[in-house]
Formats: sequence, C-alpha cells, structure tokens
Amino acid sequence: MIEVKNISKKFGRKKVLDGLSFQANKGEITCLIGINGSGKTTTLKAIMALTPISEGQILIDESPISKSSYEKVTFIPDTITMLPNMTIKESMMFMRDFYTNWNADRASQLLSFFKLDENTRISELSKGNAAKINLLLGLSIDVDYVLMDEPFSGIDMFSREQIADVFNSHLIEDRGVIITTHEIGDIEHLIDKAVLLENGKVLKEFNTEEIRMQEGKSVVDVMREVFLR
Amino acid sequence: MNRFLKLVNFEINRASKLFASLLAIVAVSQFAGVVVRSKSYVSEASRVMREQSITQAEFLSSHGTISFSQIITSLWFLGPIALSAALLILYIFLIWYRDWFGKNTFIYRLLMLPTERINIFFAKATAIVLLVLGLIAFQLFLLPMQQTILESLVPAEFLGYSDYHHALNSFWFLSLIIPHSFDQFLLSYGVGIMAVFLLFTAILFERSFRWKGIVIGILFIIFAGLLLMAPFFAEDMLYPTELLLLEGVLLILITALSIVISRFLLNKKVTV
Repeated sequence: MIEVKNISKKFGRKKVLDGLSFQANKGEITCLIGINGSGKTTTLKAIMALTPISEGQILIDESPISKSSYEKVTFIPDTITMLPNMTIKESMMFMRDFYTNWNADRASQLLSFFKLDENTRISELSKGNAAKINLLLGLSIDVDYVLMDEPFSGIDMFSREQIADVFNSHLIEDRGVIITTHEIGDIEHLIDKAVLLENGKVLKEFNTEEIRMQEGKSVVDVMREVFLR
Repeated sequence: MNRFLKLVNFEINRASKLFASLLAIVAVSQFAGVVVRSKSYVSEASRVMREQSITQAEFLSSHGTISFSQIITSLWFLGPIALSAALLILYIFLIWYRDWFGKNTFIYRLLMLPTERINIFFAKATAIVLLVLGLIAFQLFLLPMQQTILESLVPAEFLGYSDYHHALNSFWFLSLIIPHSFDQFLLSYGVGIMAVFLLFTAILFERSFRWKGIVIGILFIIFAGLLLMAPFFAEDMLYPTELLLLEGVLLILITALSIVISRFLLNKKVTV
C-alpha cells in the first residue's frame, strides 16, 4: 500500500500541497483528479522523492522510499525521459542494465502491440508514440505500483485507444496504480478510487463502485458536485 | 558490472563525441604547429644566411637555436590545451544541467534508478576525471612523436633542447598538468578532483534551492578555498613536509564534506 500522510509542499510562498492524505492499494487504480495546478504531478513526484516535501510522510508498503523502492514503484511522467539520440532499443537496454526486474518479454510484447520499430530514435517519436514508449518502459519493470502522470494528455485518438487498451489488459492487473488526469473520460470505467484535489488539498475521496451502486452517480457527476459547488 | 560502473560507462559514452573532437583538435593543431614552426625557422635561417652572407655560427649566435620549448609555448600547442581545459570546465556544469534542461528530462530517469543517488554524483565525477586523464595520456603519447618530427625537420646544429621532458619542466603550468613526480601528481590531481566535487556540490545546491542555492554554493566554495589556504598563513611555523601533510588532510576533509553534503542534497533536497 502507498500511504500519503498529511504532506505539504511550498514552492516559494505558494503552498502547492496542503496537508494532503490518501492511500493507494495494490490491485486498485486510484485516480487523482483536479484542474491544472491542483498538485497532482507534485504528489506523484513527492512519492518518488523527486520533489522533497516540507511536512508529512510517504510510506510504500510501510517503509519510506529508498533505492530499493525504485524496483517496487515505477513512475511514468507525462514527457519521455530517455535521451533524444537513443533508439527505442537502446532505451530498453538501458532499463535492462539497471533494473534486475526488467521484463524483456513484456517489453517486446508491448513494442509489437504498439507497432513501433525498435530502431527509431526517441527524437523522431510523435507525442503519441513517445507516450507509448514511456508506458512500455514503465510497465516492463516488474513492480508492485505504477504511477502515471497524465498518460492521455495531448495525444491523438488512436494512441489514446491503444493506451486505454493497456489499462484493460493483464499488464495492470494486481498492480497498484495511481494515475493523474484532468480528462477522466478515457478511464472512468477503469478506476476503483477517485481522489479529487484542489489547491493541494483533498476535497473528496471515494470508491467509484460504491458511489455508482449506492448513489447512482458517475465520477463525472461527483466531480461536478465537488468542483462546481 | 555494478550499477556505478554502468553509470560511468554511460557518462563516458555520452561524452565520447566531445572527447573525440578534442583529441582531433589537439592532434591536428599541435602537429601543424610543430611543422609550421620548424619549417618557418629553417626557411628563416636559410634566408638570413643567404641575404646577409653570414655563416651558420653567426646566425646561431644572433638568432639562437630552436627548441621544443618554443614549440610548446606557441599558440598552436597551448591553444588546443586551453580550449580543452575550458570545454572540460564547461562540461562540469553541462554534465548536470543537460539532464535537467536537455530536450528530455533525463534526470527523472537517473534519480529513479535503483541505486544510491550518490552513485550518479560519483559516476559523473569519474567521467570528468577519466576525460582529463585521457587527454593527458593522449598528450603524452603525442609528445615523443612531435619531438621526432621536430628533429627530422630541423638540422641538428640548429636544434637546442629538443627533448620534450626538458620543455615540460621549463613551464610551471605544464608541469602542473603533466607532473614529473608522484607527489606532485597526487597534489595536482587531488586539488583537481576536489575542485570538481566542490563545483558539483555547488550545482546541487543550486538545483535544490535555486537562487539561494547559488549563493550557498559560492559561499561553500569560498569557505573550502579559505580552509585550504589557511595553512599557508602559518607557513613560517611549519616544515614543508608538515605543510604538505596538512594540505593533504584538508584536501581529504573538504572532499569528504562535499560528498556528505551532495549525498544529503541528492537524497533529500534536489527537485525535478
């Protein structure tokens, strides 16, 4: 379980995270939803210790993040993080060299699924294909948790469909996923838990299935209630 | 191969084009310098002896011989060394900042590797040191060849000291780069490595605290510099061996401090 406990973060005088708390369980997809600037990306970066927090605590399976955590949790940012002059193949070799739990078979499967040529340079990839490679590199590590930052942002319809297919596949099963988005449409039916954020605070946290069954509301309905109140 | 060595290998590969370019510039410019300077000296000698109808001995007494030192101090020779030094100093900054500000933010990938983050610091520092040592080794490889070319182009009677060892020892800055004793090698390269570590720490201060970090980084470098110079203020009270020992201890302490601070910054403060 990933536990985010009362974390705060300031950039200068601006408080971007303000006592934020939530939990993400293994085997569930937790979606952080909020408009731009609500603290979604900062939260994911804080979990990966890419941004230091001013207060609070983050635990991954009851331990603070350490070097071994990076073989347990993977972060897929919204931009590709491999060097532009590397080919897809070199990027995969880089991952294989550094991660003992790199799954080469899965990487090949995903490469075929996305219909990409491994000799293509990273700099030559379109935004949609770069997002697919980001996903490939992140999901080909055998980790327990996957953090994804805006995986559908700014990419074409067909790429979105392919990425959404990955969410439906066995690649996500049994893993704990935290995904951020401000476009809920593509994945609304997939998410288990929604955490609505505004100004670095949790406005509402709910189980999507429960709210559907008990109140007959969709995630978008709840978002309207909370954000347009 | 452990992850640190993989990182070093990766950093060296990233610098390989720059390194190859520098080697090419050094070789082309210095060989050209040896040929141009030698030939112009020989043709000048012929012209002067012919036009002024003077003997070889008279020419030598008025114009002197040509030595390898004259070649070494020419722009042909020192220019590419200065260029290499300047680019390597620039590369100390580039090696970090390109990972943040390059086209793709590679620092994400580096900081999320399942290894101690300080290994990134050590790998980058090792890459810089290996590049410097590589250039020095290449220079040492070129020197005997340049000496041979000089000796083949200039008649023996016009040659002064053609031995490159003598030329290197004649200039303090060259003997710093290419030390002639192991003690001096340790001191020169110890100070060099410490300087790289200090600059890396200053960069990490900046990457952690932005503008405030620049100030902290500069203050840290000034503090380290003053600490290193402190024994020289008491030079009269210390024997040279004591001074050397004290400097060695301070060098190790400052480098260790730099590593401890950098480790803390990389683990707790650095922001992507």
